[in-house]
Amino acid sequence: MINILLTKDELELYRRIIVNSIKARIDKINAKGGVVALSGGIDSSLVAVLAKEALGDKVLALIMPEEGVSPDSDTNHAKKIVERFNIPHKIIPINGAIDWFFNIFPEKELSKKEVKLALANVKPKIRMIINYLHANLEWRIVIGTTNKTELLLGYGTKFGDLAADIYPIADLYKTQVWQLAEHVGIPTEIVRKKPTAGLWKGQTDEDELGHTYKEIDRILYTLVEMEFSVKEAAEYLNIDESVIEDIFRRVKLSEHKRKSPTITRLSRMCLDKDWRYPVERY
Amino acid sequence: MRKLRIGIGQIITRLGDIKGNRERILRFIERGKEENVDVIVFPELSTLGFGSGDIYLDKVNENLELVNELVDISKNIHPYLIIGFVDRDERGFFYNAAAIIGKGNILGIHRKVQLVNYRLFDEKRYFTPGTSVNVFSTPWGKTGILICEDVWFPEPARILAFKGAEIIFVLSASPFDRGKPEVWKAFLTSRIYDNILPFVMVNQAGIQDGVTYWGGSMVFDAAGNLTHQAALLEEEFMVAEVNLDLFRVLRRRDIRLRETRLEILEELLNAYREMQK
Repeated sequence: MINILLTKDELELYRRIIVNSIKARIDKINAKGGVVALSGGIDSSLVAVLAKEALGDKVLALIMPEEGVSPDSDTNHAKKIVERFNIPHKIIPINGAIDWFFNIFPEKELSKKEVKLALANVKPKIRMIINYLHANLEWRIVIGTTNKTELLLGYGTKFGDLAADIYPIADLYKTQVWQLAEHVGIPTEIVRKKPTAGLWKGQTDEDELGHTYKEIDRILYTLVEMEFSVKEAAEYLNIDESVIEDIFRRVKLSEHKRKSPTITRLSRMCLDKDWRYPVERY
Repeated sequence: MRKLRIGIGQIITRLGDIKGNRERILRFIERGKEENVDVIVFPELSTLGFGSGDIYLDKVNENLELVNELVDISKNIHPYLIIGFVDRDERGFFYNAAAIIGKGNILGIHRKVQLVNYRLFDEKRYFTPGTSVNVFSTPWGKTGILICEDVWFPEPARILAFKGAEIIFVLSASPFDRGKPEVWKAFLTSRIYDNILPFVMVNQAGIQDGVTYWGGSMVFDAAGNLTHQAALLEEEFMVAEVNLDLFRVLRRRDIRLRETRLEILEELLNAYREMQK
C-alpha cells in the first residue's frame, strides 16, 4: 500500500526528531550555531524554521538572490519567513560573483547549452562559498536543505546546495516536506507554489524533471521504501515501465552525489571502507 | 501480592563517552535511591552508547572498569542494577551483554544471542553472539534478561519462561524509523501472550549521528496490558510497580505454557534442521 502521507502524530514526532538532531550536532561539537541558505522555497523555509526552533538566535539565514533571475516572490517569501519566525538573517545578492564567472567565457560560447548549464551550476556553488564563509567566521555548521526526492534523483548541485554538514530533512520525500511545512505553520502561499531550483529565469523543477513531484514520489516510494523492482512497480502503480525506468536511471546515475569521494584502497585501514567512526565522535 | 518497584533509567548516552555516560548512570542511581526502588534498569550498551563505530573496540577496558565501579557502589545501596555493557571473555571476544548487579556481586550476565546485522546495524563486526539464555536468582524471584533483538524472536523468551522466569527485562537501543514504537509494542505483547509474564522494556533515548533512539520504555503486566510508558525521545527516570503474582493467577486457567507439547517442540527442532539443509 502506498502510505507516503504522514499522520498528524507522525508529523509532530518528526518535527521533534529533526529539531533534536540539529541541536544534538551543535551541542556535541560545541559549535556556535548554524547557517541555512534561505531561498524562499519550501525546503529551505522548513529547514530555517526547524533550525530556529532548535537553535534560537544561533541560526543565521542567508538570503542570496540573483537579482533579475530569482523571482521577487521567492525573495519576498524568504523575508516573510525570517520576519514571521524572527530568524536572524542577512541578504546578500550574488550577481557580482556570477558576472565574474560569466566574463571568463567569450560572448559566442555563452549561448551554448553546456555552458549555460555549467554556469547555472556555478550559482549554488557561489552560495555554498558564502554559507561556509559565514560558518567559518563563527564556528557554525551549514545546515543543508535537500530532501529525499531530490537526493534520490540527484537533483542538486554537488559541492553547491548539496554541500552541508547535516541534512535534517533528507529522509523526507517532497510530498512529506509539504505536509511538515504546513504542520509547522509555513504560509500556504509558500507551501503551494511551484518548486524551482532557481537555475534560470522561469525554471520549475517539475518541468525540468518531466513529472510532478507527486508522481515521482509515488514511484520512488515504491522502488525505495517498498523495494519493488521496476517491473513490479510499473504493474503496481499502473504506470508505463519506461517512465519508472527513467526515474530509476536517475537514481543509479546519481549515487556519487550521495557519497564522499571514492578512495582507492591500498591499506587495510582505508578511510572510507575499513575505518568506521561516528562524526559526532567523542 | 508481591510487588517489585522498578526504576526505569531511560538515559541518553553518547557513543564512546564513558565519562558522560557514567555521570548519567550515577545520577539515575541517586534518583532510584530517593524513589526507594528495588531495581534500576538501564538500556542496552549504556556504558559505551550505541551506534556503528569501531569505538567499541577501543574502549572496552574503560567500560569494564565502570561495571566494576557499579559493583562496588551496589554494596551500600538497596536497589539492584541491571545494565547493558560490552563484556569480554578470556579469549578476548566481545559480547553485547547485560549484568544484574547487587550487594557487591554480579548475579548474572546475559549475552545477546540475536545480533543484528541488517539495515544500519553492524553488530557482528564487533560482537560474538551469546549461546544460552538463563534465569538469575534475585531477592524478588527468578529474573530473565534479554537484549533488544532477542525479543524479536520467540525462542529466547520462551526458554526463560520454561526455566521459571517470573519477570523479563528487555534492554534495548532501538533506532527510530517509521512505525517502530508500534512494532515494538506488538512484539512485546506477542511474547507476553505466549509466556504469561510481566515484561519491562528499557530503551535508550537521544540522537547519535542522525539516528534517534526513541525512548518510550514500556512496562506490561502478565496479562499484556501496557501499564507504564516513558516519554518518547526524552531522557526520563520512571518508577513502575509490577505485580509478581499475577502470572500465577493467570496461569491457573491459561494453559498455553504447561500444555506445550514435547513432540511438537521436537518437531520444531527437526523442521528447523530440515529448513537449514
